[in-house]
Amino acid sequence: MSFRSSITIVASPRPRVGKTLLARLLADFHRHEGRAVATFDLNAGDKTLEHFLPEQTTTASIRDINGQIALFDRLVADENTTKVIDLGHESFESFFAVTHQIGFVEEARSRSIGVAILFTMTPDKTSVEAYRSLRARFSHATLAPVHNQMLGPAQHRDKYPLASGSPVVRIPVLAPGLRRYIETPPFSFADAQLADTAGIPVSAHVEIQRWLRRIYLEFRELDLRILLADLRSSIRFGS
Amino acid sequence: MAKPAVILVGADKGGVGKTTVARTLIDYFGAHQTPTRAFDTESPRGTLKRFHPDLTEVVDVTAVADQMKIFDTLGSADAKVTVIDVRAGLLSSTLQALTDIGFLESAKKGQITFAVFHILGPSIASLEEIAETARVMGDANYFLVKNFINNTTFFDWDPATYNSYFKRIKGAEEITIPKLNEMAYEQVEVASVPFVSFVGNKGAKNEAANYSFVLRGYVRHWLGNVWGEYDRVKLVDLVAPKMESNVRQAAG
Repeated sequence: MSFRSSITIVASPRPRVGKTLLARLLADFHRHEGRAVATFDLNAGDKTLEHFLPEQTTTASIRDINGQIALFDRLVADENTTKVIDLGHESFESFFAVTHQIGFVEEARSRSIGVAILFTMTPDKTSVEAYRSLRARFSHATLAPVHNQMLGPAQHRDKYPLASGSPVVRIPVLAPGLRRYIETPPFSFADAQLADTAGIPVSAHVEIQRWLRRIYLEFRELDLRILLADLRSSIRFGS
Repeated sequence: MAKPAVILVGADKGGVGKTTVARTLIDYFGAHQTPTRAFDTESPRGTLKRFHPDLTEVVDVTAVADQMKIFDTLGSADAKVTVIDVRAGLLSSTLQALTDIGFLESAKKGQITFAVFHILGPSIASLEEIAETARVMGDANYFLVKNFINNTTFFDWDPATYNSYFKRIKGAEEITIPKLNEMAYEQVEVASVPFVSFVGNKGAKNEAANYSFVLRGYVRHWLGNVWGEYDRVKLVDLVAPKMESNVRQAAG
């Protein structure tokens, strides 16, 4: 990968579409792959991410300029860490407005940091419009729609135009009985030992691992697509 | 040889951001590879000189010796554009002095390009000044600059009053300088570097600096908007028409 590291923004203007779970899965995927990970929680209040990733998570706010400096300057800092942002729905608009205004994606690219936006698809007009607006404003970022099958089997692909070579990331359904294990902290997808200590039955553990492997496959696919797109543009522009 | 251009940046009141506008102009001409020099009339302090020490000389525009330094060198200086930051309250008297030495006459004849950037303060007092300067200016390129940089509130003038003054100057154009985040503005002040250097994360001697990326981003966005205004009024065409047409030929 010609990018030294990456920043992934997990976003949707809707609440309760599985953003924090997706952020956790991504963070644990990168840890599983042996990368150093930092996560940033841009949700009002509940601190869910911090309960699951206490060592990695920084609570961030972009309401004032000091918060913006604390977040964005850290994001582009040279520290060889993969970064994941869990962007709460209430900060969606202001976050991308600032990101656009300060030229964040371009700055990151100039420092060999790739920026990806994972956008959870829902059929409502607000989300569809928000997605289109992101596509128009952030041509240098990889914008990947996410189909969270836990929200229902419906595909909204026709409403979400894809950039060429950009995949849809699928999050398969996890059996309802197993949700309580992964949603009760402490729990980490990256820690194989934790299953034993947290008292999760072996059958459930196996099922969660199987589910997890399918998701990790999706993430690897996404990484490859980003790499390919990057290679293609470097060949085209000869840089 | 293209004819020299002189830009007066003035206001009748202090604290309306006159020097800030002068700085954006110097950066703008720099970005267009137009050699520029500047005179700072805030003798002896020289705020402009602090930001652009290599280009700027501090002068007393009311003293004949310094007038010679500025205007007698117009044809011989390497710089194509001369930006003069006129101290608060001296705009009218400077224009009067320019009339007396026959400078405005040469501008009228087209030997020199002459433009005035009149920075407007948020009070009606500064509008009275427009009427006074209009009398002297005649056909010069006149820009009324509404400076919002340090101000969130809108100008509290009555639009009818404003327009009645505005119309007194033939061909006057309005330029709006948008607001810049306070902290971003302060950090550039502290760094004492040109806006372009701040955006490029460079210090006064072109060494690598370590400014906040967020603040640099805000300054870049703001400076882009200011330059967009200068593009809109075709400022480069005005001061360096020849160079611009070469660029167009090369591009076309």
